[in-house]
Amino acid sequence: MNDFNYTRVYSMDEALANVSLGKGHRVIAGGTNLIDLMKYFITTADELVDINPISEHQTIEELPDGRLRLGAFATNADTAYHPLVESRYPLLNRAILAGASAQIRNMATNGGNLLQRTRCYYFYDINTPCNKREPGTGCSAINGYNRTMAIMGTSEHCIAVFPSDMCVALAALDAVVNIVGPEGTRQLPFADFHRLPGNTPHIDNNLMDNELISSIDLPEKGFSSSYSYLKLRDRNSYAFALVSVATALDLEHGLIKEARIALGGLAHKPWRVQEAEDFLKGKQASKTNFEAAADLILQGAKSFEFNAFKIELAKRAIVRNCMMALDPDTQQPGAQPSL
Amino acid sequence: MEEKNKSIGKAITRIDGLLKVTGKATYATDYPAKNMAYAVLFKSTIASGQITAIDSAAAEKSPGVLKVITHKNTPKLNIKGGLRGGALLQGSEIHFYGQHIGIVVAETFEQATHAARLVQVSYEEKAGKIDFDELAKDAVKPKGQELADQIRGDAKKALGEAAVKVEETYETPIEHHHPMEPHSTIAVWEGENVILYNGSQIINGAQSSAAATLNLKPENVRIVSPYIGGGFGSKGGQWANLVLTAVAAKVTGRPVKLALTRQQMFNSVGLRQRNIQKVSLGATKEGKLISISHETTTHSAIDSEYIEPCGDCTKIMYDAPNSLISYRVVPMNVILPTYTRGPGKSTGSFALESAMDELAHKLGIDPIELRIKNEPEKDPSNGKPWSSRKTVQCLQEGAKAFGWEKRNAIPGQTKAGNYLIGYGVACGTYPARQRDSSAIIKLKRSGSQVTATIELAASDLGTGTNTILAQVAADGLDLPIGNITVNIGDSDLPPAAGSVGSVGAASFANAVNDACIKITNELIAKSDKQFFVRPTARQMMISEQTLDFQTRADAKAPSNTDQYSTHSFNANFAEVKVNIATGMVKVTRFLAATGAGKILNPKTARSQIIGGNIWGIGMALSEESIIDPRYGNFATRSFGDYHVPSNLDVGKLDAMFINEEDFIPNKLGIKGIGEVGIVGVAAAIANAVFNATGKRIRSLPITPDKLL
Repeated sequence: MNDFNYTRVYSMDEALANVSLGKGHRVIAGGTNLIDLMKYFITTADELVDINPISEHQTIEELPDGRLRLGAFATNADTAYHPLVESRYPLLNRAILAGASAQIRNMATNGGNLLQRTRCYYFYDINTPCNKREPGTGCSAINGYNRTMAIMGTSEHCIAVFPSDMCVALAALDAVVNIVGPEGTRQLPFADFHRLPGNTPHIDNNLMDNELISSIDLPEKGFSSSYSYLKLRDRNSYAFALVSVATALDLEHGLIKEARIALGGLAHKPWRVQEAEDFLKGKQASKTNFEAAADLILQGAKSFEFNAFKIELAKRAIVRNCMMALDPDTQQPGAQPSL
Repeated sequence: MEEKNKSIGKAITRIDGLLKVTGKATYATDYPAKNMAYAVLFKSTIASGQITAIDSAAAEKSPGVLKVITHKNTPKLNIKGGLRGGALLQGSEIHFYGQHIGIVVAETFEQATHAARLVQVSYEEKAGKIDFDELAKDAVKPKGQELADQIRGDAKKALGEAAVKVEETYETPIEHHHPMEPHSTIAVWEGENVILYNGSQIINGAQSSAAATLNLKPENVRIVSPYIGGGFGSKGGQWANLVLTAVAAKVTGRPVKLALTRQQMFNSVGLRQRNIQKVSLGATKEGKLISISHETTTHSAIDSEYIEPCGDCTKIMYDAPNSLISYRVVPMNVILPTYTRGPGKSTGSFALESAMDELAHKLGIDPIELRIKNEPEKDPSNGKPWSSRKTVQCLQEGAKAFGWEKRNAIPGQTKAGNYLIGYGVACGTYPARQRDSSAIIKLKRSGSQVTATIELAASDLGTGTNTILAQVAADGLDLPIGNITVNIGDSDLPPAAGSVGSVGAASFANAVNDACIKITNELIAKSDKQFFVRPTARQMMISEQTLDFQTRADAKAPSNTDQYSTHSFNANFAEVKVNIATGMVKVTRFLAATGAGKILNPKTARSQIIGGNIWGIGMALSEESIIDPRYGNFATRSFGDYHVPSNLDVGKLDAMFINEEDFIPNKLGIKGIGEVGIVGVAAAIANAVFNATGKRIRSLPITPDKLL
């Protein structure tokens, strides 16, 4: 770790003034990813700007129009166990509790969850080329050990996956990210927050260097009767997803009024395919239809030497998870083994 | 005479448990030293070649830095001193990725870490031998004589004539030991003598190898290691970090602490190597084995050979007139592999016991019955009688306790909701041995209170050695266990064997027991009274009004052991559930039935066995380390990527011990349980997965992608 200065800031204005000073100023909230990145010399900071003392954006509040606002500085644990999240957005509760460990969730914040970096092996090994870490050096994963890497939305420059579970649910729930910057506030639909690697794999998302996430809004509709989050991984707890699926269904008389299917572990961002969700609209909630939707979702998949299995695994996970979303027995908020 | 054996055999809670859970037990880095400096290693980033230049100017100028030590300024060390794995900073050659190439010593750990990053190293890189998949075909015979081809009869010919055969290849990946306590040392020099606080499975071995490497006499080196945070073989032979800490302390004239980081653990202290094992079984249609072959191909380091004996179980498990055990090895630019819990047996049993399950399936015979049918009366490898062998009892009593009769022999038939359920069985074995050890007993009396201190250079990996030695002494001296103090883990104490190869309990307990007998004899001899009933040491101390008395016993390994074949045996039973849609596996129940002689303490013994079972679950389902052949480094370099089992991966575990009296390997009847708990575990799970799904996975770990 390099030597750095440490500043505590007490207001959003103060925080913004600090981050606008440039890239050497890194914001720290929970620190559950940043500290590792600094220890491994992947990220360096001249100035660590601690935003924890800021009293705003720490809470979870219902807005007058029925939306739920998740403060960016609220912890993942406080969010998962908030009564309104448990009752109205149990999909989000499930996804958060499928990630990391209890200790990490107690520290990690909602804003930080959106901003965490990939866990690609090569991104973490400073002695190997990595376009995300050092633009222009090449991608070690494309011809390397890529078992855990992306099969959707990859580019010739990067096949890393975005590791969050929470964000898969936020994508399915059509969350909106509230951002503050020097020019005021702006909103980004969740689908537009994270980026695909393209030619700029070093840029994970559309948050500018001089901006901060203040909160995340959830639309009133929480899909609390038919939902499921399934995470498939190499170990039943404390492992990143090989594939994860968030399913939210709105059913009427056995027909699908609305379907949301978001996938994790497959791409540089949570992955949704509009065509598949449109296909399900008005159809019976049947295994056959879910299989057809799964095929639509995976039709553009491109695998690499060690991760071809992800295509079949993702299809099965989608079908299994959609079926679980129909099964009232599986629909209890709380941690559930991914088995 | 008082009731005998009141402590041995009881489920006594660890006597040092409170110290451990309150943080008061002193592990290597817990020792205070005045004016401590901190060392951080830096490592090669190529796998093969030469260092052409090291520029440490910036590091030396960095705040707090006391010294940068590289091959250019390291004192001459004896590279044949007995440490494992080289990397002693004696030259510019690079043999593997992550080889130590230098140390920064600074006032603080953070300053040393920062400065280590400032060292600029230039290399002349050579094409390394890294890609095992490419190199395996060129594997050659090992240098070690004990690994020469072992041939009985004509296995190939018999296989050709067999009515039913299994010829399959099984693969196991690189695994790491990863004890909770990373390898750590504090070195403190006092004149020509050095004290090394260092977790050491073999105290005297650490002492002699450190001394020889430092060109010192053993008496100049003291190893202090009363508590060890696990080792699993990686703290058996010692590695360069031990002596490099002493070098850093000498060069700076300060006490120095050096603790490996978790990432450095991946390529600093050995590993379990990848193995490709071909097992061929030939049997009559009634299921009698007529041919067994076990041919292992593996890798070692480029400059040194260690091969785990994967064919060891196969040599002795089943009765077959024709057998072939062979090893072929590829030297590679990786760190030297080393002893890893159940070396050869845990990996070898995966191959053998999977093949036995395949044979049972082909024959349509219950896998337990097949094993019993081929139970050998004598050790098939050398014709010696067993000192004891309870494989059949392990299988039968284990099957009963596990509910084996509920198993459906036809795979893929037992469904429960979205899951397929399967049962699997596999046997295991590990040699029962004892080594020479000495012990001192010091008795003290105050009024009618007699207390004892036991002293020997034994080691406690965290398994309960302190506790079982107190139990042995309590019984041998006729004292309550609370009156016994156990001092171990110090090379100033009488020499003892190590906590390796499952010899610890037998060797240490034997020395303590001998010392108890001797001190009682000496107390009796000293008295002018005559006794019709032999009095105890406690009674003698009181009746003779003795205040202090001590003796030392030098216990030898039994001399008649070589007339027998002495081993522990087990049978492992696994129940798994496999998600039909996603291929995710959970071990829902596991039972190990073990015949391992006298169990001194059922509580700590159970922990030993289920600990082995849990690593076996990791071996079966999740643990795998991948080398990227382009770089020579591991792609999987953290606990986020190297998946040791979590609580959710482990279902209900149960350990049962088969009653066994065997005083041939050891006078107290101890056979050792350190390793056998992992042997056969992976095979039992893989066999259960087959029973559940009908899919035979011959390559570990059984990750979801393999079951799609």
